[in-house]
Amino acid sequence: MGVEVLALIYRNLRARPVRSILTLLGIVVSTASMVLFLSFGEGLRKALGAELSTVGPAVLVLPEGVEAFSPGYPELRPETVEALKESASELGISQVIPYVVLTRGGLDPQTAFVFQGIPEGLSPQALYPNLTLAAGSLVPGPKGAVVGSRLAERNQLGLGKVLRLSPSISLRVEGILKPNGGLSDNIIYVPSSVVQEALGTRNYTAAAVGVREGFKADQVAGAIKARIAGVNAQTTGDVLRFAERAVRISDLVRFGISLVALVVGGLLVANTVMMSVYERIREFGLMRALGAKQGFIFGLVLLEALLLGVVGGLLGLLLGQAASGLVNWFTGREVGLALSAITFRLAFFALLVAVVLGLLAGFLPARTASRLKVVEALGRL
Amino acid sequence: MLEAINLYKRYHQGEVDVVAVDRFSYRFPAGLTAIVGPSGSGKTTLLNLLAGFDVPSEGEVWLGNTPFSTLSEDARSELRLKHMGFVFQQWNLIPTLTALENVAFPMMLAGIGLKERTARAAALLEAVGLGHRVKHWPHKLSGGEQQRVAIARALALNPPILFADEPTGNLDSASGARVVELLLHQAQEGRTVILVTHDLELARQAERVLRLRDGRLMEIEEAPARRSAVSSC
Repeated sequence: MGVEVLALIYRNLRARPVRSILTLLGIVVSTASMVLFLSFGEGLRKALGAELSTVGPAVLVLPEGVEAFSPGYPELRPETVEALKESASELGISQVIPYVVLTRGGLDPQTAFVFQGIPEGLSPQALYPNLTLAAGSLVPGPKGAVVGSRLAERNQLGLGKVLRLSPSISLRVEGILKPNGGLSDNIIYVPSSVVQEALGTRNYTAAAVGVREGFKADQVAGAIKARIAGVNAQTTGDVLRFAERAVRISDLVRFGISLVALVVGGLLVANTVMMSVYERIREFGLMRALGAKQGFIFGLVLLEALLLGVVGGLLGLLLGQAASGLVNWFTGREVGLALSAITFRLAFFALLVAVVLGLLAGFLPARTASRLKVVEALGRL
Repeated sequence: MLEAINLYKRYHQGEVDVVAVDRFSYRFPAGLTAIVGPSGSGKTTLLNLLAGFDVPSEGEVWLGNTPFSTLSEDARSELRLKHMGFVFQQWNLIPTLTALENVAFPMMLAGIGLKERTARAAALLEAVGLGHRVKHWPHKLSGGEQQRVAIARALALNPPILFADEPTGNLDSASGARVVELLLHQAQEGRTVILVTHDLELARQAERVLRLRDGRLMEIEEAPARRSAVSSC
């Protein structure tokens, strides 16, 4: 390919600057929106991986039919927890920590409170070994609460402050944790009896099970499922796999939505290039008359669309990166999590989509241009 | 070199068939051949067929030993690139390429390297008296200058055949004279120059004049005296 070809493509786009810029903007915005949409999936994967790596016990025992990320109303019966404890040595279990979760407030992280009830006398470190104390005590008393750093900061909860779990249950803040950079910063740890009282049940949400030395998590989870009726046991790996499946499904949904923007972007390029072909019919006729083959004209037009796709894709990636940074700044401030992440594979995928978009959009105009009859194109009929 | 055998071209115009070229046969020798005739006599259609822009309804165009008019579009393009140069009345230059790049364009198609084609294009522009206009855009050149760039481009790959379709049609007499002088020089160098024109003054400078009427070759006028006059200048 000669510099004349590059000059032709570049100068043709520059000769109609407003139209070229508008088309480019179309691709930039559609690529950026796709990048941003898909970056949420990548962010979730990263956050989940980081979150689960800080979880202590390796196996989670849940009532059958309940998944790790949708605990709902507590359904794990105390008898089941007892049965687990009784068979602990036989099943390779080192410890059983039943807990119960209660969420107060709406979806807005500013107003939502997550209470995690843990066995009395136990520190939340038993569940999240990375937690460290900033002030007060790490073990909540019978009517006490240990509060995650971000939640404490957001609601100005100091030591001694009173929290109301229900009209009849009040808790005093006895400990405040240091920031950990994960979801545990937004949790209030309280004795499980308090949460059970508020919910009017003796049940638990789930039980975290530690694995004895010499046993493997998969093995223990299998043994629990075989021995204890009505429960499901998941290892951290199972949870990750489940989460990955869920994130992948949501990826597809988000990609589907962004596909609309991409199709619009593609049609913009196709329209621009097609108009440009019609305006340059004589030029293509002249090239053919001078000896250019059909493939040359096809390539010339396709390259023009491809250039729009690649440049638009790159700029879209940059815009998506900026938008992702903005989202992360916001979610970081609100819930202490970076929700959006632009990984190498996402960037590569976005560019690939932009390139394919350019090629698809350029195909029809390129075919039209290459099939022009020389006499008709030159107006020599 | 270039030979038309029994060329016949029929167009459908609505429900009527129009014969644009009617049984035209001629073997074009080296030197300047002018094709003249009134509007609608089939000059442009004939040139389209001879140059392979279009295919005849019947008959053939031979380029040396190759049945040119029976080849595919791309094969004709390739032969055009190597063996033919063109100067049209208008729409001669690619508007987004400079004069130099326009001249270099066929050389790029032929796969000649950037350095070589740039040097050769500059030399060709120099030869047509446009050495000082190499970086100019077509719209910054006068009509005569544009035609001279087209001549330089037509000569880029040193083709044996040169087509000129009303090359002076849009020019003032001084610019026209310069263009004619360049074409005559090419004929004198031994190329086959085929000049299509309705300007009889211009045609008189050719060695042969083919007169067309209603698509038919009515008369071939040889001009030995003029030929010798051309050769001696």
